[in-house]
Amino acid sequence: MLKDITFGQFYDSKSLLHKADPRIKIVLMVLLIVFIFIAGNMYSLAFAAVSVFSILLVSKVPFKLYLKNMKAILPVLIFTAIINMFYGEGEPIVSFWIFSLTLEGISRAIFMALRIALLIFISSALTYTTTPNDLTDAIEHLLSPLKYVGLKNAVHIMAMMMTIALRFIPTLIEEAEKVMNAQKARGADLESGGLIDRVKALIPILIPLLLSAVRRAYELAEAMECRCYNGGEGKTRMKQMTLSVCDLWISSGAVLISGGIIVLNILI
Amino acid sequence: MAILEVKGLSHTYGGNTPFINDAVKDVSFSIEKGEIIGIIGHTGSGKSTLVQHLNGLLKPTDGTVLLDNEDIWKNPREIRKVRSQVGLVFQYPEYQLFEETVFADIAFGPKNMGLEGDELKNRVIETCKMIGVKPEYLEKSPFDLSGGEKRRVAIAGVMAMRPKVIVFDEPTAGLDPKGRENVMQIIKSYREATDATVVIISHSMEDMALLADRVIVMNKGELVMFDTPEKVFSSGEKLLEIGLNVPIVTRVFYELKKLGVNVPQDVFTVERAVEVLCEIRGCKDA
Repeated sequence: MLKDITFGQFYDSKSLLHKADPRIKIVLMVLLIVFIFIAGNMYSLAFAAVSVFSILLVSKVPFKLYLKNMKAILPVLIFTAIINMFYGEGEPIVSFWIFSLTLEGISRAIFMALRIALLIFISSALTYTTTPNDLTDAIEHLLSPLKYVGLKNAVHIMAMMMTIALRFIPTLIEEAEKVMNAQKARGADLESGGLIDRVKALIPILIPLLLSAVRRAYELAEAMECRCYNGGEGKTRMKQMTLSVCDLWISSGAVLISGGIIVLNILI
Repeated sequence: MAILEVKGLSHTYGGNTPFINDAVKDVSFSIEKGEIIGIIGHTGSGKSTLVQHLNGLLKPTDGTVLLDNEDIWKNPREIRKVRSQVGLVFQYPEYQLFEETVFADIAFGPKNMGLEGDELKNRVIETCKMIGVKPEYLEKSPFDLSGGEKRRVAIAGVMAMRPKVIVFDEPTAGLDPKGRENVMQIIKSYREATDATVVIISHSMEDMALLADRVIVMNKGELVMFDTPEKVFSSGEKLLEIGLNVPIVTRVFYELKKLGVNVPQDVFTVERAVEVLCEIRGCKDA
C-alpha cells in the first residue's frame, strides 16, 4: 500500500520534452502559466487549452496519467468553481439567502476551473518528463544568481537537501514496510480500532523508522565527508546541462503560444 | 502429522503494473511438528517472500497455507491469531525495538494477544529466563544495549508469544562468531522448552548441516530440493550450479578425493570429519 504513493512522477519515454533541458522547461512552464492567466477572453483561453493539449500529446506520456493527477485535484477545482459562481457582481438569475447565481459568475467559474486545470496539466507535463534529480539540478542552476546577493552557499545546500530527500523517499518507504511487517508479525493491529487506537498503533512503526532515518543520516554524512564534500564550491558536474536543438523547438513553441494568446486577447 | 503445509503457493509482486515479478512459483511442502527446517537459496530466490506467507503477512496469489490442517486465510479477520502461532523473526530484528524498557518491548507481542497483568509479567520473565536475558536488563532502555543483546531481546519479543512454529530470516546476519553461537543457542533453548517447530533461513551451510532436520533449497522462486542435509549436500554439484555452496568441511573432503585420497563425500560437520579421519588414520580416541 505504501508503494502507491507517488513521489517524483517521471515517466520514461523519448519525446522532445524528455530531451529538452530541464532549465528551459521550468522557465517555459512558468511563462505558459502566466499566459494562461493573461488569456482574458473565450477565444484566447480556448487557444491556450488547445496548445496545452498539444503539449501533452508531444510529451508522449499516456493521457491516463494526466487524468490521474487531475483526479487528485478535482475536489479543489470544483470547490473553487462553486465559490466563483456565487461571488461577485452581476445580474442574478437565481438567488436565495445571501447567495445569488449570476451569468457572469458562471462564466467566471468556468474560466477559473479551466485555468487551474490547464495549470495542473502543464506542470504535470514538466514532472512527467523530467526526473526529480534533473529538476533539482535545474532549480539550483536557475537560482544560482542568488549567490550574488549574499546567499552564497544557500542555493547549493537547498538543492543538495532536496536531492537527498528525494533519494531517500524510496529507501524510507522500504524501511517502513519492513518495520510494519515486523510489528504485524508481533501481532500489532494496524487496521482496526478508533482514531486514537490507530494513532497509538503508529508509535511502534514511527519510532524505529525515525531511529533508522537518523542512523542513515549519520552514515550518509560520514560517507560524504570521506569523499571530501565541502558544499558547492568548486564542484563540477557529471552531467553537464547543455542546450540543444530540442530547446530551440520547445522555446519557439512556447513563444508562439504566448504570442497567439496576446493576439487573440487584443483582436477579439 | 504435518503442522504446516504449503500447497501450490505462488506469489506475484506488482500484479497490475509493468513490473510484474514472480517471487515464488508453485511451491509445495509440508513440515512435521518439532522439525527444524532450513531454507537456503541465493539472494532474490524468494526465501523471504516464502516465509512471509507462513504467518499470513503476505496473501498467496495462488495456493494455500495450512496450519494444523486449516487454511490460514479461511477467515481473514482472524489472521492476527495465526501470527501469534507462527512467529516470524525478521532480518536484523533489533531495528524493530521501540519501547522505553526491555520489559515493555518483549511484552508487546503477548499484549497484542490479549495477555495482561501477572500473566503478561510472568510470560515475559519466563521468556527471559528461557533464553538468558538477564533480569536486570528488563528495566533498561533497549537502545542502551549492545548489538548482540538487542537482537536477543528482539527475538525474545517474538518468542514471548509462544508460537508453535517460529521462523527466522537470517538470524545470525551481521553478528560475530560468538553472537552467532548465542543466537543458535537461543533457538535451541526455545525449542527444548516448547517443542516448537523451527524454520531458519540461512546462508551458513555449516549451521544448516549442524541444525536442520531437512533443508529446502530455493532457486529463482522455485523449490528445487527438499531433503535431509545429507542428501542435499551430497548433490553438491547442483548446489554450486545455482550459486550456493556446501559446508567448508565438505569442500575439504571433495578436494581430498580429487587428490586421490579415498574419503567419503558425505561429511558435513566438523565432528563427523574428525570421526572419519580417525577411522582412516586409526587414532586412539576419536
